[in-house]
Amino acid sequence: MIEFGPVHTVLKKEVSDNIRNKWIILLTIIFAFLTLAASVLAGGGSLGGLEETVTTLMSISMILIPLISIMLGYSTISGEDEDGSLAVLLSYPIKRGEVFIGKFLGLGIVIALATAVGFGVSGIVIGLSKSATPWGSYAAFISLSVLLGLLYLSVSMCFSALFKRRVASLGAGILLFFWSTIYGTVLMGIYFATGGSMSDFTSANPTIPDWIWQSIYFSPMDMNQTASMLVFNIERAFGFAIEVPSFVDLASIIGAHLVWIIVPLIIAYLAFERRDI
Amino acid sequence: MRTKRCENEVWKSNKESDLVTAPAALNAEAPVIEVMGLHKNYDKVKAVNDLTMSVRKGEIYGFLGPNGAGKSTTIKTIMALTHPTSGVIKVHNTPVSTKTVDIHKDIGYLPEKISFYRNLTPVQTLTFLCELKGADPVVVDQLLEDVGLGDVSDRKVGTFSKGMVQLLGVAQAMIGDPSLYILDEPMGGLDARWVRIVRDKIRELNERGATIVFSSHILSEVQMLCDRVGIINKGALVAEDTIDNLSDHLELRPRLEVTITGLDGAVPDGIDAIEGVWNADAEGDKLTVSCDASSRIQVLVALERRGLTIKNFKTLDPTLEDAFVELISDHGGEQ
Ligand SMILES: Nc1ncnc2c1ncn2[C@@H]1O[C@H](COP(=O)(O)OP(=O)(O)O)[C@@H](O)[C@H]1O
Ligand SMILES: [Mg+2]
Repeated sequence: MIEFGPVHTVLKKEVSDNIRNKWIILLTIIFAFLTLAASVLAGGGSLGGLEETVTTLMSISMILIPLISIMLGYSTISGEDEDGSLAVLLSYPIKRGEVFIGKFLGLGIVIALATAVGFGVSGIVIGLSKSATPWGSYAAFISLSVLLGLLYLSVSMCFSALFKRRVASLGAGILLFFWSTIYGTVLMGIYFATGGSMSDFTSANPTIPDWIWQSIYFSPMDMNQTASMLVFNIERAFGFAIEVPSFVDLASIIGAHLVWIIVPLIIAYLAFERRDI
Repeated sequence: MRTKRCENEVWKSNKESDLVTAPAALNAEAPVIEVMGLHKNYDKVKAVNDLTMSVRKGEIYGFLGPNGAGKSTTIKTIMALTHPTSGVIKVHNTPVSTKTVDIHKDIGYLPEKISFYRNLTPVQTLTFLCELKGADPVVVDQLLEDVGLGDVSDRKVGTFSKGMVQLLGVAQAMIGDPSLYILDEPMGGLDARWVRIVRDKIRELNERGATIVFSSHILSEVQMLCDRVGIINKGALVAEDTIDNLSDHLELRPRLEVTITGLDGAVPDGIDAIEGVWNADAEGDKLTVSCDASSRIQVLVALERRGLTIKNFKTLDPTLEDAFVELISDHGGEQ
């Protein structure tokens, strides 16, 4: 059904086209620069607190990785349809499913490269300045970041397949970017409205209700951040003590990531197959 | 106001059967492209409305119609880019769908609106497309040379002008030396020099045995190149024949234009009943009568007899362009 040859051809083209994309290059440079600055600043020269470094790295990647993914993904179908390059591509002996998978994998590789460059620099700095670097955790952290990138890529490609116009899929991409922010705000709104208070989070012994923990699966950034904290055994973030309850474990968070990746891909494929170019 | 003179039917010429040779007879049985009862609706717009046409092996087929007639929609449906609302399309006798992409190995397609990947050079672009079509990329340089893009083969396509992108489009259509070309407005938006390159290329490819379909809204382009034309208007085929036969069928007649003081848009009684008069039209003080040359005098005499003051008159020779405009205006074209 799906043949590897055409998939591979599209994949290669996506990689060589997008690693020349000046916006992606710019974001990757900013990414590398910020993580470098973060790792130097957090240690005050000595790089003592890895937790501090990682929480800063996390907030950098939470902005830049979704941004890179959405920029790569939002116009793959709608944009190429509008400008006419998709009509050329689909007039070749290649099936739509093959085009779609090739694009997803190719763009996924570009995201993985950007993440590797972005974190690689700070990784080397940390590695050189600390005697006992937790390489395993750091690698797991980078993998989680790539997973987050694939998640945002999948959802933004889904928008590009669902919408006719490029601006519509861009709008949806922007909404997706702010989704975790919106989601968190709404969630807190509900929490405070139902009798919760800020001190529940800031007290020495925080009492975050279970339903808030359970709902992190709807917010990619929150669940990804939680996974990173589990990986590094971080118990404090931004001055708050946070204890992740035992029912939120790494396996279920990774499972949730995969659902977030696979479901939009299936929806996108079905929409793409029916699309009039 | 205007008396209709064209019937809403597709002409199937009988004359051609006299000329049929053995291979052509074979071809007539198995057209390269067959469109049968195609409908395509976009919401309420009937972009294509019960269109039936066929393209024979080895011919240059002109797909002619005003803007918005449904040419691109039909072509995109043939390429399985667009899904038909109903109807069947066969290419080389295979019904097309998004699953039958293997057919595309033998088709060179130029979309109406074309673009390539901005960050790749033409060489990288064509190499990528060669790989997709299973063609050896050694041909890339030659293809670029063929369309006059040899000098810019290392520049990013993102820096190209619209015309250069169009030429790259022509180059990519030739990848794999297909036996069928489907070109949507191949000369649209090109300046005279480039139009010539494309026109010569179409002739050359056809001489080497390829079947070519191209769409246009400009009659002269089609007239110059085509063996047969299909004229489409409002989503339906209104004529399909050779250029010569079309002229015959349209019974192109010279027209007589008479300026009459105080006519005021009314066709005088009985004028269209005169023998040899095909139709009569009045607009302001101008009366236009299509008629045989021999009936002109009778028309003028009849006007005199009705006591009308003939200020001026002239005769107009018919062109195929007139016929085309007439044909599509009778069917309410958007042009
Ligand atoms: N994607 C679309 N959505 C809605 N209407 C469309 C679409 N594509 C074409 N149309 C309409 O269908 C009709 C035929 O268009 P088209 O096939 O592009 O004509 P042509 O190529 O002959 O100029 C036009 O009225 C056009 O506005
Ligand atoms: Mg068109």
